[in-house]
Amino acid sequence: MIEKERLVTIVGPDKVMNEPQVLQAYAQDMSFVNPVRPACVVMPNKADEVQRIIQLANDTQTPLVPVSSGPPHFRGDTVPGTGGAVIVDLSQMKRVIFVDRARRVAMVEPGVTFGELIPAVNKEGLRLNMPLLPRKSKSVVGSILEREPVIMPKYQWDISDPLACAGLFFGTGDEFRTGQAAGPGTVEEQWAVGGMQKAPYGPGTGSWHRLIQGAQGTMGIVTWVSMRCEILPSLEEPFVVGSSDLDPLIELTSWLIRLRNVNECFILNSTNLAALFAKKYPTEYQNLKDNLPAWTLFYNLAGYEYFPEERISAYIKEIDDLTQRLKIEAVKRIGGVSANEILKAVQQPSGEPYWKLRSKGACQDIFFLTIYDKLEGQIGVVNHLVDQAGYGASNLGIYIQPVVQGTGCHCEFNLFFDSGNPIELDRVRTLSASATQELMARGAFFSRPYGENTGMIANRDAATVAVLHKFKKIFDPNNIMNPGKAGF
Amino acid sequence: MALTKEIYSVFEDVVGPESICADPVIMPSYFGKNFAAVILPKDTKQVQAVVRLCNKYKLKFRPICTGWKGTFPENIILLDLRRMNRIIEINEKNMYAVVEPYVISAQLQAELMKRGFHLNVKGAGTNTAAMLRGHGHLDQSTSGDDRNHLAIEWVTPEGDIVRSGSLGSTDEWFSGDGPGPSLRSILTSAVPPGSTPGVFTKGAVKIYHWPGPSRLPVQGVSPNITLSEIPPNFMARYYSFPSLEKMMQAEFKIGESEIAFELMGFNIAMVASNMTVSNEEDEEVFRRLEKESQGLGFFIIIAGNCAADFEYKKKVLRHIINETGGKSLESIEKDPRTEGILLTNCIRISASIRETFRSGGMFASIPSMGQRDLTVRWAVGAGKAKRSLIEKGLVVDDGGAFFGWGVEHGHLGKTEIFCRYDPLKPGAEEAVQKWKAEQQKRASDEHYFAMLWGPEDEIGKGLCDYQSWWSKIRKAIDPNGVALEAGSLV
Amino acid sequence: MSLEKYQDHMEMCMRCSCCKFIPMQRVQGHKYTYVCPSITKYNFHSYSGGGRLNIGLAMLKKGFNYTDKLLDIVYNCQMCGACGVSCNYAMDMEVMEPINEFRIKCVEDGKTNSALEKVITGLRKQGSMVPVTGKRGEWASGLNLKDAVKEKVDVLYHVGCLTSYDKDMQRLAKATVKILQKAGVNFGIAGDNETCCGGRAYQMGYEQDFLNQAKENMAMIKKAGVKTVVTSCADGYQAFKVLYDKFNLKGDLEVLHISELVDRLIKDGKLKPRKRVDLSVTYHDPCRLGRLGEPWIHWEGKRLSQSFVFDPPKVYRRGTYGVYEAPRDVLKSIPGIKLTEMTRIKEYAWCCGAGGGVNESNPEFAQWTARERIEEAGSTGAEAIVTACPWCEKTFNETIKGNGSGLKVYDIVELIEKAI
Repeated sequence: MIEKERLVTIVGPDKVMNEPQVLQAYAQDMSFVNPVRPACVVMPNKADEVQRIIQLANDTQTPLVPVSSGPPHFRGDTVPGTGGAVIVDLSQMKRVIFVDRARRVAMVEPGVTFGELIPAVNKEGLRLNMPLLPRKSKSVVGSILEREPVIMPKYQWDISDPLACAGLFFGTGDEFRTGQAAGPGTVEEQWAVGGMQKAPYGPGTGSWHRLIQGAQGTMGIVTWVSMRCEILPSLEEPFVVGSSDLDPLIELTSWLIRLRNVNECFILNSTNLAALFAKKYPTEYQNLKDNLPAWTLFYNLAGYEYFPEERISAYIKEIDDLTQRLKIEAVKRIGGVSANEILKAVQQPSGEPYWKLRSKGACQDIFFLTIYDKLEGQIGVVNHLVDQAGYGASNLGIYIQPVVQGTGCHCEFNLFFDSGNPIELDRVRTLSASATQELMARGAFFSRPYGENTGMIANRDAATVAVLHKFKKIFDPNNIMNPGKAGF
Repeated sequence: MALTKEIYSVFEDVVGPESICADPVIMPSYFGKNFAAVILPKDTKQVQAVVRLCNKYKLKFRPICTGWKGTFPENIILLDLRRMNRIIEINEKNMYAVVEPYVISAQLQAELMKRGFHLNVKGAGTNTAAMLRGHGHLDQSTSGDDRNHLAIEWVTPEGDIVRSGSLGSTDEWFSGDGPGPSLRSILTSAVPPGSTPGVFTKGAVKIYHWPGPSRLPVQGVSPNITLSEIPPNFMARYYSFPSLEKMMQAEFKIGESEIAFELMGFNIAMVASNMTVSNEEDEEVFRRLEKESQGLGFFIIIAGNCAADFEYKKKVLRHIINETGGKSLESIEKDPRTEGILLTNCIRISASIRETFRSGGMFASIPSMGQRDLTVRWAVGAGKAKRSLIEKGLVVDDGGAFFGWGVEHGHLGKTEIFCRYDPLKPGAEEAVQKWKAEQQKRASDEHYFAMLWGPEDEIGKGLCDYQSWWSKIRKAIDPNGVALEAGSLV
Repeated sequence: MSLEKYQDHMEMCMRCSCCKFIPMQRVQGHKYTYVCPSITKYNFHSYSGGGRLNIGLAMLKKGFNYTDKLLDIVYNCQMCGACGVSCNYAMDMEVMEPINEFRIKCVEDGKTNSALEKVITGLRKQGSMVPVTGKRGEWASGLNLKDAVKEKVDVLYHVGCLTSYDKDMQRLAKATVKILQKAGVNFGIAGDNETCCGGRAYQMGYEQDFLNQAKENMAMIKKAGVKTVVTSCADGYQAFKVLYDKFNLKGDLEVLHISELVDRLIKDGKLKPRKRVDLSVTYHDPCRLGRLGEPWIHWEGKRLSQSFVFDPPKVYRRGTYGVYEAPRDVLKSIPGIKLTEMTRIKEYAWCCGAGGGVNESNPEFAQWTARERIEEAGSTGAEAIVTACPWCEKTFNETIKGNGSGLKVYDIVELIEKAI
């Protein structure tokens, strides 16, 4: 275990904490993983500090748990998997290193939140491809490294987007830069000739950025990320389409994305849409929910520099043909919620309190990737399970996010519960496990396994996991990087 | 080193006597190397069995698809994947197709077009494997590199079958990443310069909306093939610009406005090559087009999903071209026959052969993928250096040009410069290789991009020593050292 | 001609694999994409057009080493020319010529195939590429046809070996003469004096035997004073039109395939197909009428620069000017015929399987090739496959008998005969 003093020599006395209340805050989160107290918390400010911490951890066989976002955490990946761990909290590394309009790229440190980055990129005429209403304290880097789904599938050419390059230290303490950032030259030398760390592939054979995404900090610690940005539209025209039946919305969604007409595009059930906008619980929330259709598709049309009105007008014509064929209607307002309100909301992080916590104070997410054809069966089985468990399908939040330009979708079930109520807690915990199992049996791909269900998910694909274990031995031979997470 | 009779017969037991050959007489057609044997497996199971035997007998192996040229060490087992040529699945709703290695892009493209889809076609040509990692003319709207792969079925160097992403967990092909970190960190490619050891036996690739007809209305008798009509809502043009700066401005604006189906930074020499049916005609047309053109330029295809979309895109294009001083090549604009030839070549063939090999028989290229403007800046210098070779008559005169294009509507890019030459001409090969080495070194020394070919230790030094990690990965997944990376282009 | 002359061209092969497939822009799906029967069946790259060039080049450089495997590669090729067409869409280089020369060299060096040797022995003895049963002109007994050698005729109808001697094929000769008579063409036959054109011998690699036949034929033609030869055999057509010209034997002899002549006669109003023939058909382009029937181009010159250009400019034969439209126009002029094209047609048609000596040396491969074609023909929904060469027809018929397909096989002359 690392002695506190040694950490102090690296980061300074103010950046190392081991007070009980501080440690307690990192010992558990909103997930169902077992609470484990860390030994201390260290908050580096610079990349070389991170490297020295990792080197020290190797020397002393001390587990490290990297954290970039502020609380509350939900996935269990920031709770130590083993005792004696040091939390490496990067949330103070808050530099927006650059925003480059011409190359549509920004570089940030791990502590930068969406709320902090959005105005910085907007200033340059750019915008982010964001997840759906991340919490205020959510780190942009954290979100990207987690491969969180983004709400503009048109601009997600690859599941790794919007990640471009990353600067990191592997679990060995060795520095590495992925993609174009690897070289030749240092990042600064690259800047001098106009290199802006945009291309993600390489160096050499590997697409190394894919190794650190989805890894939950088990391969190393990332100290900066460059990410692709999109252009801020000059004109936007959002729409909503409601339906009691999911099928026509899925059909429309698949066409909208296939034709690349839409920017933001996702489907929410009434529970989730109400949760986004209700300000008062339970009455206003319930009223909102009751007035919303079972399903709402939200999409946004955008125009840029050249003749934006004509562009949008052409899209609208095309979409009209589709909606008529499907016997649904694109409107500006649905059940008390306007498309413009939704647009405004989703282009920012969530207000406080975090939208998932407003109704009951806690939330367990079950999410996976799937194909459209299997959605109905998957939703059906979860509805059945939650009904059976006494949770009630009407309380279940559902979020469907097309990904990677339409090659399937992210499906997310949000189980809201009162964590202070042991019955509710137990029910949701059990549901999380049973639903995961049933969903896997119905073709759900849990590409990002977290918490208690990780083992079950990893066991499903032993061959892949076996290869990943080989990587783990290479990049973190002493197994100090967040041991016990991501299936390791 | 010939295989012993016993070992040969063990392989023969796996694939059958007609699918293995060690006769030296076939080797000239396989890159002129004395391979221990050429083996044609018919499915994943046979690939696995062969790989396991290679491990057992410590025989190095390498797979190839259609081939093209390549460099290989002697005495290895060459896996010719020709018999693995099935289209496994086309999933229209979820926009992917799954293929075996020997399905060529032309086949998959034709099947997809019938269904209103298409795919990224690599510059190596539609005569090459559809699951190739690579860049091509359609990158503007269909991405490139390893970003079109989804799940992959991989026979590891040890002979295990690993099915990446959703395939391993759910038997579906739609995602190649996870659970957890992604194996696509190493499952990037079947072919050099970056290639994954082992064998890709099936791969899922993204597919894209095709706004054109189910079949392009091709007419004519080879080599005079064009379109009987330009498909509705399609337009192809070539624009030249008064300066490189203006051209890049136009390219970026077109990228950001998302109007181009294809944007291919052909130089005039390549346009001439594609339009013409012989080298003589090529030279004559090149001279004529040079006069018509005001400088560097690009070829663009606009394709509208519907008439309104088409009109919008054309309007934006006109505006951008006016803003940047672009000039349309009349030889294309005023001649639907030429427009049709280029449309056909650039969509269905990925051009390539006419513009590379026909003139001299050989070309040597320095490609670079990544940040477009950066690589263009480097290419300007490489082009200037090429002119001295042209003046000495050692390479074909193309004005010292380079080419390239934006990928993913300009987010990424590709720039390439090549010399076309006759390798039998005294001094040509040497001069070209020298030019290539010098320009690659300059790219590295001046921090533009890394060299792609060369000793890994040298290249890796300036790239965070990635080769040391790669070497560890290789050892971990290939403990017997049987899976080679060097090999054929495709 | 020699293989050495084509070394430069063989060096140009970049192993792109286009020679295995039909031209890329013609690919219509997963099926019917391959154009080379040899690589499609045998799979090793050596069997492709490019593979043959690679091997030929290696042997030129390192010496000729004739093994069983090499001869297997060499002789399992229908010499159909499809590889060259696909290659020459993009490349300026000779493909079929070096492949031809390699075959010829094998024969010259005594590396022959026993089945082909047998056939050539027959040719040398009896002037026929098929077993001789009776007299060559016997099929014409009772038809009172003019003897072109003895009487003045405008057109010599060269019947061909298969059509003359094969009882099943003799009907084609009879149909042809009926057509010519109906159109009032002043034609004659050589009858028993007819001898093999030598074309199939050339395909097999027996250049000298071909030349012997060619000289004998041209001597007869000169003696007869005939200005035009018409044949209903594609091999014969290629022999007279292309190969004789290649070896400067043809002079200004006009050579027509019966489909070309009939097309001309129909368009001139001298032949009127009036009778209805209700049949849905698909048309198979014989290799030697189509891509290999393209006129020979005489060229001598030298290479100029680092670019592969020549002085004078070299014009390549790319299959562009084969006979494709005449047979189609003829079919379209027959009332009731509904023509549906296969995927692989014209200059990129799939071979019937019979050429290059494969019919004799490896009948199983020939049949396999024909089976592929029959399947493709069947996929069009047509009731019948129509062709313009007796060798194609024979191979298709044998194959259909073997696999029980319901597809009918017609020669174009049979349908014309029905219609007039």
